[in-house]
Amino acid sequence: MRTIGMKRALLGAAIAALAMNASAAHAASATGTAKAKILRQITLTNTSDLQYATVISGATASTVAVSTSGAATCGAGLTCTGTTSAANFNIAGTSGAVVLVGGDSSVTLNGSLGGTMSSTLTYSASNVTLTATGGSFQVGGTLSVGANQTAGDYSGTFNVTANYQ
Amino acid sequence: MLRFLKGFGLFSAAVLGAAASPANAAGDLLVAPTRVVLDGSRGTEVVLNNIGSAPATYRISLEIKRMTALGGLDEIEEADANAAEKAALAMISFNPRRVTLPPNQPQVIRVGVRVPEGTPAGEYRAHMLFRAVPDAAPATDPAKPVTSGVSIALTPIYGITIPVIVRVGELGASAQIGEARVEETVDGPAFAFDLTRSGNRSVYGDIEVTRPGLAEPLLLARGIAVYPEVGQRKVSLRVPAELAAQLKGPVKIRYSEDREVGGGTIDEADRVVK
Repeated sequence: MRTIGMKRALLGAAIAALAMNASAAHAASATGTAKAKILRQITLTNTSDLQYATVISGATASTVAVSTSGAATCGAGLTCTGTTSAANFNIAGTSGAVVLVGGDSSVTLNGSLGGTMSSTLTYSASNVTLTATGGSFQVGGTLSVGANQTAGDYSGTFNVTANYQ
Repeated sequence: MLRFLKGFGLFSAAVLGAAASPANAAGDLLVAPTRVVLDGSRGTEVVLNNIGSAPATYRISLEIKRMTALGGLDEIEEADANAAEKAALAMISFNPRRVTLPPNQPQVIRVGVRVPEGTPAGEYRAHMLFRAVPDAAPATDPAKPVTSGVSIALTPIYGITIPVIVRVGELGASAQIGEARVEETVDGPAFAFDLTRSGNRSVYGDIEVTRPGLAEPLLLARGIAVYPEVGQRKVSLRVPAELAAQLKGPVKIRYSEDREVGGGTIDEADRVVK
C-alpha cells in the first residue's frame, strides 16, 4: 500500500520531468533550464539455458522433452545423463505492463562430427504482465534424436523476443 | 550543461536496470523508452544499455509485425509487407545499426523520420528490434573426449522490440470494451475480454478492473494496444486462480489513455464476469 503510493509519487515526478523536457527542448539556447528525462524502460536478461544435457542414442529414433519447468522426459531407448534445465528469461519494466513473448517454434542443431537434430520449442506464456519485481518466462522443448544418432557436440541458436505493443 | 544532464538521465536509467536484474549473461539488455510515437516532423532517441557482465555486440533493425485477433504479434517477412508497412520501413531511419558495448555502457540510437510528400494520412508502424549478436559457438571442444553420447548446446538470440509509430495527418480512433469472462487457458486461468476499435489509428492505454465498493483495483494491465490492422482483438490476461475467482461478478472495466498523454478514458463499461 505504502509502496504503491510511493510509486505514484515517483511516477508523477517522472511525468513532470518529461513535460518540462518537452518545453525546454524548444528553448534550449535561451536559458539554462535544467532537465532530466526519465524514460520508461524494459530489461531482458537470460538466466539459464535450455539444456538437454547428454543423450546416448539408441537403435530407434526417440525424443527427449524438457518442460518449461525444466523437468526432463527421456524417451524409450535413450539414456539421458546430466542436469536438464529450461531457458529462463527475466523481464523488468513498468509495473503492470503487458509484454508479449515471441520466438522460434523450432531449432536445428548441427553436430560437431556431422549429423543434425531438430528440437521444437515451447514457451511458458505468450504474454507476461509485469509486477513491481518484473516477470519471467521459460522456454522448453522436445528434441528428436535419430536412430544411432552420430555422436558429438550439437549446437544451434534460436530467436526469442520480448515485445512491447 | 544540457548534455551533462541528459547524460545523467541515461546514467540513472542504467543504474535502475542494473539494480533490477541481478543476473548478467552476455547479451542482456535495457531499452528505453518502450514505445515511440512520431508526428513525422522530428525524430527521437532510444537508449540501449548493456546490462550484462561482458562486452556484447548488439544489432538494431526494423521489423514488421501484425497484430492478430488474439492480441499477439505475427512476424511478417519484408517480402510479404504491404504498401503501408513498406512505407513505414522507408520513412523511419536510425543510427547506429550495430554497436559493441562494454558492460553498463549506454548507447543512444537516433531515430529519424522523413514523410515523403503525398503520403496518405494514416498511421505507419515498424517495430525496432534490439538484440545481441552471439559469439560464434565453438563447434568442437578439443578438451572434451568424444563419447558415444551427444551433448547439446542451444544458444538463445534474445532481444526486445518496441513499436515506432509515425502518424501522418489528422487521425482519430475509439474503442469499446466487450463482454468479460474468466477462462481456462493452457497456462492457467485468464481474465479475458474483447476490445473493438474504430477509426484510422491505433488505440493504446491501460486497463483497470475495479469492483464497486472496493478501493483498490482488482487488476491493472498497462500498455494494451489495438493496432489499425485489426478492428477487434481479444485481451487475455493470465491471473492467479485466487484472483480469477475474485474477478467473477460485477466489475467496472476502464480503458484509459497512457498517463503520459493525460490518461483520459477511452472506454468504460460495467460488466458481470462469468
